[in-house]
Amino acid sequence: MSSQLATTAKRAGRRFLSSLPALFGVLVFTFLLMRVLPGDPAVFFASGPTAGKEEIELIRKSMGLDKPVPEQLVRYLGDVGTGNLGRSLTTGQPVLSDLRNRLPASLELTFSALLIALFTAIPLGVAAALRQGSAVDHLVRFICALGVCVPTFVSGLLLIYAFYYLLGWAPDPTGRVDIFTSPPPLVTGFLLIDFAVAGDWEGWRAAARQLVLPAFTMALFVVAPLARITRAAMLASLGSDFVRTAKSLGLPRRKIIVTYALRNAILPVLTIAGIVFSTMLGANVLVEKVFSWPGVASYALDALLSSDYAPVQGFVLLMASIFVIVNLTVDVLYGIADPRVSVE
Amino acid sequence: MTTARTSLLAAALLASTALPALAQTRAETLRHVTGAAINTLDPNIPGSTREAFGLSLLTYDRLLSFGKKQLDGKWVFDLDKFQPELAESYTISPDGLKITFALRKDAKFHDGTPVTAEDVKWSLDRAVTANVLGKGQLLTGSLTSPDQFKVVDAHTFEVTLPKPDKLALANLAVVYPVIFNSKLAKSKATAEDPWALNWLKENTAGSGAYIIESYKPGETTILRRNPDWNRGSADKPAGFKRIITQTIPEAATRANLVEKGDADIVIDLQATDAADLEKKGKLKVVSTPQYNAITFVSFNNQIPPFDKIEVRKAIAAALPYEDMFKAALFGRGAPLYGATWADGKAPTGAIFPIPQPVKTDLEAAKKFLAAAGMPDGFSTTFSFNVGQAGTAEPMAALLKESLGKIGIKVDIQKLPDAQMSTLINEKKVPFFTEGIVAWLPSMDYFYRNFYIGPIRWNYSSLNDPQITEWAQAARFEPDAAKYAAYGKELNTRHFELMPQIPLWQPSQDAVMQPSVEGYVYQFHRQIDFRDLSRK
Repeated sequence: MSSQLATTAKRAGRRFLSSLPALFGVLVFTFLLMRVLPGDPAVFFASGPTAGKEEIELIRKSMGLDKPVPEQLVRYLGDVGTGNLGRSLTTGQPVLSDLRNRLPASLELTFSALLIALFTAIPLGVAAALRQGSAVDHLVRFICALGVCVPTFVSGLLLIYAFYYLLGWAPDPTGRVDIFTSPPPLVTGFLLIDFAVAGDWEGWRAAARQLVLPAFTMALFVVAPLARITRAAMLASLGSDFVRTAKSLGLPRRKIIVTYALRNAILPVLTIAGIVFSTMLGANVLVEKVFSWPGVASYALDALLSSDYAPVQGFVLLMASIFVIVNLTVDVLYGIADPRVSVE
Repeated sequence: MTTARTSLLAAALLASTALPALAQTRAETLRHVTGAAINTLDPNIPGSTREAFGLSLLTYDRLLSFGKKQLDGKWVFDLDKFQPELAESYTISPDGLKITFALRKDAKFHDGTPVTAEDVKWSLDRAVTANVLGKGQLLTGSLTSPDQFKVVDAHTFEVTLPKPDKLALANLAVVYPVIFNSKLAKSKATAEDPWALNWLKENTAGSGAYIIESYKPGETTILRRNPDWNRGSADKPAGFKRIITQTIPEAATRANLVEKGDADIVIDLQATDAADLEKKGKLKVVSTPQYNAITFVSFNNQIPPFDKIEVRKAIAAALPYEDMFKAALFGRGAPLYGATWADGKAPTGAIFPIPQPVKTDLEAAKKFLAAAGMPDGFSTTFSFNVGQAGTAEPMAALLKESLGKIGIKVDIQKLPDAQMSTLINEKKVPFFTEGIVAWLPSMDYFYRNFYIGPIRWNYSSLNDPQITEWAQAARFEPDAAKYAAYGKELNTRHFELMPQIPLWQPSQDAVMQPSVEGYVYQFHRQIDFRDLSRK
């Protein structure tokens, strides 16, 4: 067991090292891409009613844009090396602190959505696989199709309209906690955890209530790929030799399905879940916008629209790092789900 | 372990007692929702957003602020009337070159330090010397050098002007010359940053009606009332104890919030939502045409074929004004088309803009095109930025259809905001729609800032010696009748040259709970929360 852990750790370490050049490439590429884009942040932000050439030059200088691009790049890399990601013109704050404040919001939302999605998708997928071609299968297919075709901002607005505007069950869709609830002392940045640590269950309920609608909106969108993959993987493993053997041995049905079939089917689901998670984190910008969720994706979009270089570069770097970490985690989980993976 | 548990318990207790206290003050709290964000606490920092301007007028005082007047039954700011803030009174010398301010003796900064003439001098020096936004603005009021500002005694302050300038006082009432606590600011200044720009960007050193309680850029700003502030009209602190400004990016959600009564006031709804809420009649909707703003269809007068007056006139005769006004704004605003000028001359010169004698007349448009030597029309692009898409998109579609009828083929270009501003600044967009806003909407100010020189705001890239000369002359003309005569010439010339086509002045729709009172449309197009109270 311990040797298995050690090989997993070694493999993860090697993977991590081999992803460093990719991270560096992403850094340089985004840097250059932002400068190629046809928008000048200095002109955009010099929008005062009497903004002239002088003001534009001022902003350009304060952003370091008056220097040649190679010099800017070297300075930027040096800054990133020392943990300085620059300053956002949109919020006026250092990018690093903006990302640090906003990342927990995005992660909390994404994790909740992924959990909801997994808890819905896996049973749906299993049910569809067990009764292939039946009404249940078709119903699952229908639900999945519906979830995928309705864009998140439509389903988000619909949910708000129904549960906040018409029924009044949901709190106003304005961020992570009700504005009149005092936030918990900062521990992790995850409100559900911080409220629990502070023992403030009233606050915890308020935060959870705010989370429900956006998390469901996001989950709706990703149930489909997860359920479809579960179904396919289950079909494959249900038709395989070991399940036939188990059946012929007269093992209980529950044990066959959960212990043998599902455990073997879970590998592709994990892979997809990893990918889905990383994509959700970046792609939930519409959900964040609709629910005024102070996350990193809507932050990056605002910055992109105003050609605000530093936040966009910081965001892409963050996303790339998260991708690496998620891939590592999936790798490690593989090893746990299927010990054969760690044998090289 | 035990201590940890006790402190947790204490925290929980604190949290639970804090809740009812907050609930009690809901009526005394104003919750404002907006789509935009505040990015600095000092309005002078290059790159400040409009919302940052709005905030700074709550946390800081100026020497003077604008008075208010009624325009078609709506309260708007009055450029010609001033209300004292930190100045108790002021006198102007008979030659108009010296303005002497008597400062309030009871005014204190948030930290308790009294406000003196030294603070005023430091703040105005900063506005004209440091690398700040104030510089470019204040020079439009002949305020350019620290030598013009003199401390007479602790509560008397003097401003000297090189020429009598009508806009000098008005410039002291805009957002840049706010008065800082100079002792506090100087203590935070460094050798590289003598004007404490970096510190003031993140901190406030003011004497204003509100104190910042919490500031999360891009999320919320919570303000607490300064109980000692008495610079309002009635010698009492501002109406609301707390102001919460929340950034809600989705316009439909903002409309929902205010309709459900969860938000108290919003000024940036979509025109459809505002019209809808007005029809439902549950909320108070104050719709004020922004009389200091104009939306244009603009051409770059240096790029062919728009360098030909006839081409510009042809387009002016082919625009479907009425349809565009209805489709883009749902009729919410003041149209600037469809006037009749009896003798072809502008009926008035005291103000700009005035409704233009343009209307949709395709036959006339075809004649103009033929006169320009292009009877079969031409192809061009029409650009607008994504941020304006809500109004510009339907407008562009109608424009394309109508110009198609006279043979002008239009390709619609929707550009990201930063790209559009860059292209406009580089004078590379031939045909587009944009808006302008003047803080100090006097006739000459419009002409001087939007029709002269190679600056970004001269959308049409007009370079007309006549307009330049008249506008400069009008600036220093003390006689109202002569000023209006210059204005009449300018307005007439503007129509004859047709450098760009003024379309309308969009309304600012302030939607609020019926209990909220005192809303006034302000020059910076933000809410001055000091005016508001709850019935």
